[in-house]
Amino acid sequence: MSIRVHLDRVLLERRMSLTELSDRVGVTLANLSILKTGKARAIRFTTLDLLCRELNCQPGDLLVFDASPDDGDDEGIEA
Amino acid sequence: MRALGPGSLSSFLKIILDVVYVCLWVGVCGVGIGILVALLFSFDPTFMGHIHLDSEDGDLTGKGPLLAWVLFCAGAYLGIILAIVQRLRKVFVTLTAGDPFHPDNVTRLRLIGLLLGGLEISRYVFQAASRFLDQDHDGRGFSLTAWFAVLVVLVMSEVFREGARLRREAELTI
Repeated sequence: MSIRVHLDRVLLERRMSLTELSDRVGVTLANLSILKTGKARAIRFTTLDLLCRELNCQPGDLLVFDASPDDGDDEGIEA
Repeated sequence: MRALGPGSLSSFLKIILDVVYVCLWVGVCGVGIGILVALLFSFDPTFMGHIHLDSEDGDLTGKGPLLAWVLFCAGAYLGIILAIVQRLRKVFVTLTAGDPFHPDNVTRLRLIGLLLGGLEISRYVFQAASRFLDQDHDGRGFSLTAWFAVLVVLVMSEVFREGARLRREAELTI
């Protein structure tokens, strides 16, 4: 899949851990880990809204379209 | 009454299937013993000479191979039914757990459909053989209901495949 999630980079810039983000947005650590590691197939607008609110960023900061050739892994989104 | 989950209709049906499963095993073991006894009589009619089995058609001890063949067919038939019930039990375990779209249910249902088809075909073969041996044999012919059931189960397996895919999608939606 050509959509990549840059959650780890945004978290690094905010100096925030995944556990802390999980506590703030109310999304389980397991689900955030799925999102961060690129295994997620979809993201709800409500989740995106919560993430952008807490991380004080735009959806475009978290999600990036990368048209480079696929790695052959269409199971999830690469982080 | 609930259809899924513990204490539901599914768990009740699972108990019935468990009982049927045990009965089928007893039946298969009984048929297996019957085959062994029939073969013993066919190879050595004087075996246990004091026992003499008679039927309406005459002496049974002389019909050992035929009896063994009939019992083998019955055993194979029971074996296929046993395999179907075993898969059904596993399907109902997932239904009782409240997880109908378990990925393994797709394979189980497809196998059940194929086994049902195999059962119907083996019935035709057995009937043809019986008609060949006994001209007066009058068995049940082509059963539209049986083939309809086979097709329904195969279609249901594909429905479950789609359900399992949607479940996977839902699991990976954050």
